[in-house]
Amino acid sequence: MSHCFVMESPKRRDGNERPLLSVVDDDESIRESLPDLLREFGFASRVFSSAEEFLTSDCLVETSCLILDIAMPGMSGPELHQELKRRGHEIPVVFITGQRDESLRVRLGKQGAAGFLLKPFSDAALLAAIKTAMEPS
Amino acid sequence: MNTQVEDPAQEVKRLQRCISDLVGLLALPAVWSGNEPSRIVQILLDALLRMLNLDFIWARLRDPVDAGLLEILRVSDSCRLRITTQDISEALNTRLVGDGQESLPIRHRFGGEDISIFPVLLGVHGESGMIVVGCGRLDFPGQTDSLLLTVAANQASIGLQEARLLAEQKRITYELDRRVAERTAELAAANEELRKEIAERKLTEERLRHGEQELKRSEVHKAAILDSSPDCVVAIDHEGRITEFNPAAEQTFGHRRSEVLGKPLADVIIPPSLLEKHRTGFARYLASGDSRVLGRRLEMTALCIDGREIPVELTITRIPQEGPPAFTGHLRDITERKKSEDALRAAHAQVLRSEERWRSVFENSAVGVALTDLDGRFIATNLVYQRMLGYTEDELQQLTFLDITHEESVEDSRTLIGELLDGHRQQFQIEKQYRRKDGQPVWVRNNVSVVPGTERVPRFLMAISEDVTQGKLSEEALARARSELAKVARITSLGVLTASIAHEINQPLSGIITNASTCLRMLSADPPNIDGALETVRRTIRDGNRASDVITRLRTLYSKKELSPEWMDLNEAAREVTALSLSELQRSNVLLRYQFAEDLPPLVADRIQLQQVILNLVRNAVDAMSAIGDRPRELLIRTDCDAENQVQLSVKDTGMGLSPQAAEKIFEAFYTTKTDGMGIGLSISRSIIEAHQGRLWAIANDGPGSTFLFAIPCVPEGFADTETPANPTVRRIDS
Repeated sequence: MSHCFVMESPKRRDGNERPLLSVVDDDESIRESLPDLLREFGFASRVFSSAEEFLTSDCLVETSCLILDIAMPGMSGPELHQELKRRGHEIPVVFITGQRDESLRVRLGKQGAAGFLLKPFSDAALLAAIKTAMEPS
Repeated sequence: MNTQVEDPAQEVKRLQRCISDLVGLLALPAVWSGNEPSRIVQILLDALLRMLNLDFIWARLRDPVDAGLLEILRVSDSCRLRITTQDISEALNTRLVGDGQESLPIRHRFGGEDISIFPVLLGVHGESGMIVVGCGRLDFPGQTDSLLLTVAANQASIGLQEARLLAEQKRITYELDRRVAERTAELAAANEELRKEIAERKLTEERLRHGEQELKRSEVHKAAILDSSPDCVVAIDHEGRITEFNPAAEQTFGHRRSEVLGKPLADVIIPPSLLEKHRTGFARYLASGDSRVLGRRLEMTALCIDGREIPVELTITRIPQEGPPAFTGHLRDITERKKSEDALRAAHAQVLRSEERWRSVFENSAVGVALTDLDGRFIATNLVYQRMLGYTEDELQQLTFLDITHEESVEDSRTLIGELLDGHRQQFQIEKQYRRKDGQPVWVRNNVSVVPGTERVPRFLMAISEDVTQGKLSEEALARARSELAKVARITSLGVLTASIAHEINQPLSGIITNASTCLRMLSADPPNIDGALETVRRTIRDGNRASDVITRLRTLYSKKELSPEWMDLNEAAREVTALSLSELQRSNVLLRYQFAEDLPPLVADRIQLQQVILNLVRNAVDAMSAIGDRPRELLIRTDCDAENQVQLSVKDTGMGLSPQAAEKIFEAFYTTKTDGMGIGLSISRSIIEAHQGRLWAIANDGPGSTFLFAIPCVPEGFADTETPANPTVRRIDS
């Protein structure tokens, strides 16, 4: 069922592979707008409309960073994060959410989230969060 | 008498007439015989007037019967003169006074005419009276005239004499008859007297005989009465010796009549303790006639032959007879009566004690007790009741319970009392407000019942009243607290709502900012990526519209409205609202079917809000089927009425269906299965249905898809007075 849209070849023009970022969000606006921005940042990206879709895709290993919505029908963002950890995929996750919930932010931080962005976020904030997430700890 | 003979034939005729007249005159007595003198004179005068061709004839005479004066004047029919007795008397007076020429006629002028008048005496010397004749003829009176007059005068005398005799005879006869009658009456009276005397004597004899019989009968009666009397009858003579002792006395006292007759009463039935009293009382009566016992009903004791003393009721009377006094005593054994009197007294005391006990319960009851008649007028109230209402017993007795019932409770009370009196209910409880005398309201819990009537007491109402004002006040405080809580909850949920709105708006805002950022970057690149930038701008515009839509939708769903219930037809409302969605349904390739119950009762509900619910369910169903491509997209709207008078509407789809966990979760706010939903439509729908005291739920279909249903009562409680649209029940929906 999974259709993992490859928005762009992971290969850079200079031959170095661009890091692959995956976006999981049930909101179409996000899914449409983020890949263009991420490419401007110099990343390759793939988008998924649900947690289940991502889990069944072939991108789990390649994904350098996961930009993940919190509230989704079906499996929620935090649930996906737990599931990935359970399966042993240590993918850094930047959570994005439209709901301002400080307690959730703290909880996710404890859970090991690499970033937390409130929608709407600026391009700079996104880039900073991604870079922070991808830095080797 | 010189008579001139003129014509022999005429002479003969004259004589013949004279003889005929004479015969006529002689026959007169036969005509007048037996008549009164006045009648005799009249007959004679009429005959002469006719025979002698007279102008008038006048008679004046003494009535031979009653000695009265008779005066009769006859005037000829042919005479034209007016002649009165006065005129005649005057004419006679000119001549009659002692000139001795009585036999000659007098010429007298009457009213211009000469008339010969001629008096004829009656009797030998005129002692009987006289007749005066008058005639205009010059030769009057001639020989025949005189003859006829003389004869007539004689006849008259004779006739009058006869009449007198006859009258005398009559008088004598009458007198005789009268005397005979008198005598006869005397005899008859004497006879009657005698008869009466005889009858009287007979009656007396009869009475005497009857009296003897009566006496005998009376004796028999007396014996019978004495023998059969249930009372003891004992008679004594003036020495106190027993003269009568009837069977009842024998039975009561055990003595035989034959043995006690002649014995002193004191030795027989007077108990030793009363002997002295009896003797002195008896002696006193004999000496002075003074008695304290005669004719009065007394209670004392009497002695039986076996020595028992029994209570008796005694009446002593003196026998009304000549000679020395004698007495009868009527005695009745009242042992039984005494016993029942004692029992009655004991029972009465018991009743009094019971009454006292109940009164004490009534007075000292911890709750108010009021008894009223069937009109509600207070008969009795206890102290607690009086204190509760601030009235005294007397004041309450002037009032009915409705007078003190708070106006808000009057109607309910009246209705319930009516049902009680009609026998529809035995008793009822009501919480109602009274108004105290000081005007303060007081809440009471009343338990009212009808107490059935007895022979003496008509049925009445009893109210046991408990003052629950304190409880009511706490209830009101609780209600206030609840309403406060609801307000807080509303504010809280408003916070959640704000968050939700933020979430919904932030999605497209994120898109807009991201797209705009990308656009800037693309345009700033060298060379600028124009196509990419155009695409990002397009997406920015679309996201802007999306944000705007979210706000519009929120405003629609969250606009808080008050319920305006009205009588409505659910089928019609459902048809109306789905008609609005028809184009949307067609676009989505959804086949809509109705299955409306035909006998659906009308219901009281907020039509607009129910339509919102229906619309919401229909949209959800359409959305649920939007991803379906392998089976028909069918939507079935169905209405039903169940036995509990609830109407039900269901929306069944063939969409993606519900998991059992989701079936409950979906009604929570912000839970959504839709990529573009906000998760609040169903939560609002549920609030609306619950405000109508109904419920909204979802079930998974046997086949594919799910069914959403709601059921609401036709007339939710508190919606009943909806017929008056001016006063709708107002209720807020809290999300």
